[in-house]
Amino acid sequence: MLMLKAMPSTAGDPARDAVPATKMRLSIHSEGSRGLRFLLDRGAHSVFLACALVVVALIVGILVFLSLRGFAAFLPLAGNTGRTLSFAEVFLSTEWAPSSDKFGILSFMAGSLSVTMLALLVAAPSGILTAVFVTLLAPGWMKTLMRQVMDLLVGIPSVVYGIFGLTFLLPLISAKWLKDSPAAGFFAAACILMVMIVPTIVSLSMDAFEALPRTLDEGALALGSTRWQSIWRVLIPAASPRLLTAVVLGMGRAIGEAMAVQMVIGNNPAWLSLMREATDRAPLIRFLFTPAATLTTELVQELPNTAAGSAWNNVLFAMGLLLFLMTMGIILATRRLGQRGAV
Amino acid sequence: MKTQSLLLSVIALSFASVAAQAQTVSVMGSTALGPIVKKAAEEFMKSHPGLNIAVSGGGSMTGLNQVAAGGCTIGISDVYATADQEKAGVKNHNIVVQPFTLIAHPGVGVKNVSAQQAEFIFTGKINNWKELGGKDQKIVRVIRPESSGTRAVQKKEVLHDQDFSKDVLIQDSTGAVVTSVSTTPGAVSFVELEHLEKNKARIAGIAYNGVECSNNAVKNGKYPIFSFGHAYINPAKLTDAATRKAAEDFLAFILSKEFQEGTVLKAGYLPVSYVKSMKTQL
Repeated sequence: MLMLKAMPSTAGDPARDAVPATKMRLSIHSEGSRGLRFLLDRGAHSVFLACALVVVALIVGILVFLSLRGFAAFLPLAGNTGRTLSFAEVFLSTEWAPSSDKFGILSFMAGSLSVTMLALLVAAPSGILTAVFVTLLAPGWMKTLMRQVMDLLVGIPSVVYGIFGLTFLLPLISAKWLKDSPAAGFFAAACILMVMIVPTIVSLSMDAFEALPRTLDEGALALGSTRWQSIWRVLIPAASPRLLTAVVLGMGRAIGEAMAVQMVIGNNPAWLSLMREATDRAPLIRFLFTPAATLTTELVQELPNTAAGSAWNNVLFAMGLLLFLMTMGIILATRRLGQRGAV
Repeated sequence: MKTQSLLLSVIALSFASVAAQAQTVSVMGSTALGPIVKKAAEEFMKSHPGLNIAVSGGGSMTGLNQVAAGGCTIGISDVYATADQEKAGVKNHNIVVQPFTLIAHPGVGVKNVSAQQAEFIFTGKINNWKELGGKDQKIVRVIRPESSGTRAVQKKEVLHDQDFSKDVLIQDSTGAVVTSVSTTPGAVSFVELEHLEKNKARIAGIAYNGVECSNNAVKNGKYPIFSFGHAYINPAKLTDAATRKAAEDFLAFILSKEFQEGTVLKAGYLPVSYVKSMKTQL
């Protein structure tokens, strides 16, 4: 902790800063090249500034665009062709039937949360424990190998996971456990999501453990704790803020995933009432294997096919805005957690 | 010197071609209709050098929205324009006929359903293939999302405007529907005829009222389920007379006997002239 606090003061030390500056001056030989150098510096500076501004402008632009189109559902704006909706009938209703003028998105919100939580339930502990094993117990070559495998897994496009789920996982579950009834639903979607977010959680958790000072482990062992006690009582608690960050980032990826989930979840907007009405199976089985829908799956299915300015299209944009704000909230939360970890 | 003159001539040529290609017709919309319109564009551009027809996707509604707003010259779509879009001046041309068929998982043991049975399957009044003389197996209904053109046709023609059962699986694209039906025991769905023909090994067709879907059955009026592919232009937004004429000529080419009975038939669609009765709006 002391070392971390000392870092900023050495960075600001004038004696250290002066070294690169003199080196730079030595490499410049004539007045002419100094002028050129100045121009290049200014040029580079404005290019970098422009890049930074473009990124900021893009994000602000997306937020403004989404807000305008999203809030259009609730305000009588000029471009609207449909009626103006109230917040309650959109956010507090589960009835989604846009052709019959019903726009409740509560079931999609519940769907997004359910599938994310289900995926985290398995992915968080297994990801963190994998990181514990790889960083603290496994030999060095394995650490390198695991890093590369995790990076590889992060790079696989989500549609590949989706196709795998649709053509392999669903028929397998249905034939093995469900006596041929369809397997589409939260379980399959959570399985796919879990495979997608575990690499994120493992990579970040490995960083968390590697950032811990070795003295913690050594101190614990010197005081007579076993390997297990050192890991469980000292190292995991010490790394916990950054582990939480890893989990929350995995959650962000899960909640925003559309393509893969869409292919295996069954996409039924009426899943809540379907689950209530069908009583032929135990509640947990019904929850796991009833075709359901989430915010992202509904967006990916309906957005390209609805008329601009209609209430339907506006509500879909409101759902997009909701997702954007949720992801922003998650990122801000990780910032806070990260700051707590650094001090 | 030689290279310099060569360079000059290349530059001159490219300028000439840019000038000649100034005439551009942009087509946007339905990904289902995209391939056939792209073929038409290729053939049409051959006989009209200097004209460029750019075909891109985006979805049926995107095509309609864009053509209504003047974002593209021609919008292609599986669905009819809304009343507002018609008021804005959007004009419809029916360019092809698309037959639809019921499909099922090969193991269901049912080869034919009556119109009423088909309706009951999708409204949820029939829930087991046993009731139709097939295997004792729960019926799994696979349908398209609410905004899909296929679902609109299905709701109108098969369900006679009643609501679908709540107990359904929904898949985004016809490809995903076919995969779902082929891997889910007891699954039933509704797709364009060409998708059944392409996937005969994985899925089974179901006859409707004793008639198997085929181009001939639609042509001689025995098979009732089909829809039109539409191309829309918005004359109010086409201020450039040359572009407007190019777009109208292109549509006339698509509707010409030569293209309709040649390329359209080969691509698995039916010529518009085969269907005598104009259907009411879907």
